[in-house]
Amino acid sequence: MKDFIRHTSAITIKELKQLRRDPVSLVLTIMFPILLIGIFIVIASAFSATSHNIPVVVADLDGSPASNALLDKLTSSSLIRVTQLVQTEDQAYQPVSNGQAVGAVIIPQGFGNDLASGHAFIVVQTDNSKFTSSAFIVGTVNQSAQQLLTQVSLGEAGVSFGAKLAPVEVITRPISGRPPSGDTILPGFLGMIAILGAFDDIVNAISRERERGTFPRLALSPVSLFAVYNGKMFATVVLTVLRTALMLVIFTLDGIAIRGNLLLIFLTTILIAVFTLSLGLTISARIRGSATLTVLEIAMTFPLFTLAGTTNSPLLLAPGGRSIADSLPWTYGNDALRRIMYLGAGLNVVGGDLLILFLSSLVLMPVALILSKRTM
Amino acid sequence: MSLGSFLRNSIAVAENEFRQFRRNRSAILISLMVLPFFFTASLGAGQGGAGTTFSATANIPIAFVDNDYSVASLRLWQTLTSSPDFRELIQSYNEQAAIAELGTKHIYAVIVVPKGFQNDLENGNRARVVLYTDDSEPGVSDQIQSTLSSYAQNFNPNVEVQAYLTQLQRQSISQVEIIRKGALFAGFNVGLTIVLAVVQIFAAFYEIAGGMSREREEGTYARLLVTPVPIGSIVLGKTIFDILLSTARTFIVLGLAVYGYGAKPNTDILSLLALSLLVALVTMGLGFFASGLKMGQRAVVIVEFFLILFLFAFSGLIIDKELLVGISQVIANILPFTYAFDALRRTILLGVPLLSLTSDLQYMAGSCVLSYAAAFILLLKSRERLIR
Repeated sequence: MKDFIRHTSAITIKELKQLRRDPVSLVLTIMFPILLIGIFIVIASAFSATSHNIPVVVADLDGSPASNALLDKLTSSSLIRVTQLVQTEDQAYQPVSNGQAVGAVIIPQGFGNDLASGHAFIVVQTDNSKFTSSAFIVGTVNQSAQQLLTQVSLGEAGVSFGAKLAPVEVITRPISGRPPSGDTILPGFLGMIAILGAFDDIVNAISRERERGTFPRLALSPVSLFAVYNGKMFATVVLTVLRTALMLVIFTLDGIAIRGNLLLIFLTTILIAVFTLSLGLTISARIRGSATLTVLEIAMTFPLFTLAGTTNSPLLLAPGGRSIADSLPWTYGNDALRRIMYLGAGLNVVGGDLLILFLSSLVLMPVALILSKRTM
Repeated sequence: MSLGSFLRNSIAVAENEFRQFRRNRSAILISLMVLPFFFTASLGAGQGGAGTTFSATANIPIAFVDNDYSVASLRLWQTLTSSPDFRELIQSYNEQAAIAELGTKHIYAVIVVPKGFQNDLENGNRARVVLYTDDSEPGVSDQIQSTLSSYAQNFNPNVEVQAYLTQLQRQSISQVEIIRKGALFAGFNVGLTIVLAVVQIFAAFYEIAGGMSREREEGTYARLLVTPVPIGSIVLGKTIFDILLSTARTFIVLGLAVYGYGAKPNTDILSLLALSLLVALVTMGLGFFASGLKMGQRAVVIVEFFLILFLFAFSGLIIDKELLVGISQVIANILPFTYAFDALRRTILLGVPLLSLTSDLQYMAGSCVLSYAAAFILLLKSRERLIR
């Protein structure tokens, strides 16, 4: 046992020394988190920006005080930019068809009278190939109509009867108590960093060693293969702790309050990394080139953004996708991270998730060992 | 050198590339299996097929607490339970206990109908429903709120069981109806434009830049450059090889999407193929340019990963170009891939004829010429250095 621990520590130290001597890998270990967060900031700022310039064409076919009031609201919106005011419906649709505008709003003839009698309509044509912008336009028109109704109910906007506000309002109260923002995906990004980092460690630890011809020498040394793998695993654990700490510092600098127990966060990322490492070891027994393994790792990463609940909850996936998400241990890791960091959940809540990750690694590690021995 | 021998040399280079490709099982696996199948199948799993519709909130367990015990609140319960959007609505009698369950994965939201709900409706006041959500699940909170709001805004307490809302009805707010025009697309079809582009970029960059760096690492790069074959033939030969692979990939992705997931692209196969190959060509130009920078194989793969992440953020792949602000929008306007994605969306989804997208096509062709020219100069300099 003593020998086993000594061998494991020797391999761990060797791995960390090798990483220190390889500037590209060292930079990569640090750059992965920073670049991912950079991308997140761009995406989040695009979605949470208070003003956009989505080009919209408006045709006011009514010319009544009510339609003018609606037009005022549309032109003063910070989300859309009314680029043209046209006279006919066709003139409004034309820029949408040729890509000059994302949407066209048609205020039909008789809008003011219809509003007074209690039921009016507005036509919105959108280029739905730009789905987010289209949703913003519909949302803005909805909001403007709602504001107009409020104005009408107060006797403003030239009409003062008939129209009413929506009868039932939904008030949302998130249990985290945080304002709605894109920050919910950050714990998933932390999970992704753990996955990517562990995959990269595998490329460094096994494939490159094979390419350099040092792996057979290592396997033939009087150190058991289990100790070799264990040592490489501990090196990954050390690196995962460093990556997690770096991410948490970035989160804190970004003003995100982390609620849960820090040790539990570290434990979760370590378990995610260990599972990824076990899978990577299994795959590396078959795929030997480091570049090939890296490409495979990246090819797997992009679908994981959706399927393992990194950017969106697996609950929102189609039934088939939800089944796949349920069968991926990473989903449980990302879920646990969100609950710990966002809701301050303890081991009693995320214990099941962590157990799934642990058991999956426990099953995969011997498989990796057997496959490696066979292919040696 | 005559055009005939230039073309002969180019074909010889392409043949050599194919021979090497045939001998490399991993390359075949990644290029023609993993990338097209894995990406398309993941899209199908996440979004469902193009012909299938599903409600994102239908199978999410949600508690319903009625504190009003009135006819109106009962009708709201009936309306929601009879809708296809709330199949997992659970009646709960204790508000605090239901809220305490949030965050434990047993329920993800609690709808509370407060006392006085019916009174407010009867008196012509705005009634309220409170929605408590587990916001640690990204997107779930917004999705439930949006679906519930559409039912609440159209709720009529005088109707016993209300038929579930059509897409059109959901856009309306009580007295001003918003009639939406413009084709709506299945999530799968929208995703297909992204998958087709990402697969081509991913594979073409790896094949060109990765292939060149592999030759450099194996020592054949220098030999190839100093042969009497002109640089133009080397570049053209490798381009021909990759165009053929890209064609195969296009057919694999489209075949799987159309026959496996029922996608119906709104354009003809030739336009689709032409656009897909144009995306691949732009990437190949970039790949040749990158290979001129003497990157190792691993560095190429890493650059590729960041290139795709970069495109996710800046080229309209995930966020529409119109939503980007400041410097992000400037970057988006410069990137040729922004125009490629725009063209792909407009043809696949809207059915706009390819030749009418002149500005997109011109921009892509221009970038292609520029990157090939830059790569040509770098390779020429590389050869001069080797000969000296």
